[in-house]
Amino acid sequence: MKVQLKLFATFRQYLPVGAEGSTVELEVPSGTRVTELLATIGIPQQESPMILVNGRGIDSDRILVEGDVVAVFPAMAGG
Amino acid sequence: MFGWHGKVLRVDLTQETTRVEEVDPKMAKDFIGGRGWAIKYLHDEMDPKTEPLAPENRLIFATGPLTATPAPTGNRYMVITKSPLTGALACSNAGGIFPTEMKRSGFDLFLFEGRASRPVYLWIHDGEAEIRPATHLWGKNVHEATDILLEETDAKARVACIGPAGENLVKIAAIMNDKHRAAARSGVGAVMGSKNLKAVVVRGTGDVPLAHPAEMKALSKEVRSEVSRDVKKGSSLREYGTAYVPVVTNEIGILPTRNFQTGVFEGTENISGHVLKEKFLRRPKPCFGCPIACGRDTEVDDPDYAGEGEGPEYETIAALGSACGVDNLAAVTKANYLCNELGLDTISAGVTISCAMEMFEKGFLPESDAGRPLRFGDADAVIALIKQAAYREGFGDLVAEGSYRLASHYGHPELAITAKKLEFPGYDPRGAKGMGLLYATSNIGASHMAGDIAYAEVFGVPERIDPLAIEDKPHLVHRFEDAFALIDAAGMCVFLTLRYLFDPHVDLWPTRLTQLMNYATGAGYTPETMLEAGERVYNLERLFLLEAGLTKADDTLPKRMLEEPLPDGPGKGQVVELDRMLPEFYRLRGWDENGVPTDEKLASLGLK
Repeated sequence: MKVQLKLFATFRQYLPVGAEGSTVELEVPSGTRVTELLATIGIPQQESPMILVNGRGIDSDRILVEGDVVAVFPAMAGG
Repeated sequence: MFGWHGKVLRVDLTQETTRVEEVDPKMAKDFIGGRGWAIKYLHDEMDPKTEPLAPENRLIFATGPLTATPAPTGNRYMVITKSPLTGALACSNAGGIFPTEMKRSGFDLFLFEGRASRPVYLWIHDGEAEIRPATHLWGKNVHEATDILLEETDAKARVACIGPAGENLVKIAAIMNDKHRAAARSGVGAVMGSKNLKAVVVRGTGDVPLAHPAEMKALSKEVRSEVSRDVKKGSSLREYGTAYVPVVTNEIGILPTRNFQTGVFEGTENISGHVLKEKFLRRPKPCFGCPIACGRDTEVDDPDYAGEGEGPEYETIAALGSACGVDNLAAVTKANYLCNELGLDTISAGVTISCAMEMFEKGFLPESDAGRPLRFGDADAVIALIKQAAYREGFGDLVAEGSYRLASHYGHPELAITAKKLEFPGYDPRGAKGMGLLYATSNIGASHMAGDIAYAEVFGVPERIDPLAIEDKPHLVHRFEDAFALIDAAGMCVFLTLRYLFDPHVDLWPTRLTQLMNYATGAGYTPETMLEAGERVYNLERLFLLEAGLTKADDTLPKRMLEEPLPDGPGKGQVVELDRMLPEFYRLRGWDENGVPTDEKLASLGLK
């Protein structure tokens, strides 16, 4: 199934070479969890980023569905 | 005294005299410093009904006890006065180097009253104060004035000054320091201009005496190494500045877009931090002694928008970019440079211009008045209006009044996206409800820095909370407001303090901030008494507002936020249920149903 992964701020370092903007489209098996998705592109587990799925924060290790948009960014400050 | 000098410089601009006053140690402790001392002075000396541009209005520059100490990011100052834009309090905060130099010059606070008969500037060097003529500087922009002042005082001095906007009493004028830093909100620049005060120049080589210097240095070092360790792992603020934020707020659906008509902007990628980094960044820039370095030293080559300076920050990108429908970062950066040179608040400038754009597109603002078409996305219109506003030329004379007066002039005050007439910062509250309650209850009007619960609702700092929930928001907004009052009063920067000096849960317990305060001052604070002091400051500010004539009716939001659901994004369909949060907020604060602090509450804080 296809999902979109958006990598913001310092997580941009995990964007594949040649990616347009902040978004990459990925083909993943059905039943893939969010944490597994992050692992496939090399985000280490101890990073503990902020994760949004379709713009909403997630509480548990959600199972993704077709068309989900996952956004990843550091738990940091702005102003 | 330690941490504090215990010295206030009172400047009577009418008489052109200065006087050094000792500070009462009990007052010092009870009100912490900075913003806290300032409201005590305003409360004790000033009729809150005073006209903001009258000589009787006090203009206060206030550092905190931690300013110019080894405490990391102890480098901020605040400008406090009665605002000509809002009629409420103004508490504008800035960093850079000026605040540290000011504290080192031997004073905690400068208090300006009266009005000089001709333009002057104040020159302070290691405890000595002089009022000098500034007629030759009047009309000069911030950069020009700063350069001349450094030549005629000391090349190592630091300057806070107004540009043409403040001189022209523009209600959204800022006070700039170190050329590129801004005490921006609430038209503080106009108050300075109304006093014929062009600049304050400081040179200080003194140290701040500390009660427990060894402990202060040890804890400061410990915090610095934690920050450095985190920065090494990857710091978005160091790498991108606050400019990394638009993609985040856009993803949540709260990025101000076309005068807050929606929270999702199709041009977000183009105005984001990675574009800033690739195209315009020369280097990251820290304020004095800061280990983060979120500032941006930048340059734009694009011939249409060429310039150099610092920024833009997130708020500027939201206000002059997405709020105006502009997706050209070179243009936004140029607009930012102009605001800095002319001395304008980028947030109020952008959101006033976006208001004009919506009125133009809806046919409420004739082109003959505007002088040109004003459509969303027209970057050149944004730049033109900034210049006109600073000089009150043509339509700029109305832009200079801020969005509320501008929109009211055309019979549509509901299109001014403000609270207490202060333009909204970069978070649409329909998608972050805590921010909605904050904007409605902050003592300066719609300010994110009065208690930035967006940290938790958007960034998960100290912990993630649901931005769309309303249940716990009255309690949390209360905690954030008091905590931010404390940070402001102490003279610290929020970016480091919130994350490293408060315990990592959303109730905001100031353990390490308290330790730093005690090492500096020896005053024996506990986290409880610190938070109580924050609450004391906040309540005294509230009393000032009520005596100035504001009421519960002013604790509100624009109709758009209360009644027009967000049309797109994850917050689609949402409004701000302010009526379901405000009564609980009043109750938790110990106020009556009209938002008036009860006698019991005031007595508990020593305010009655």
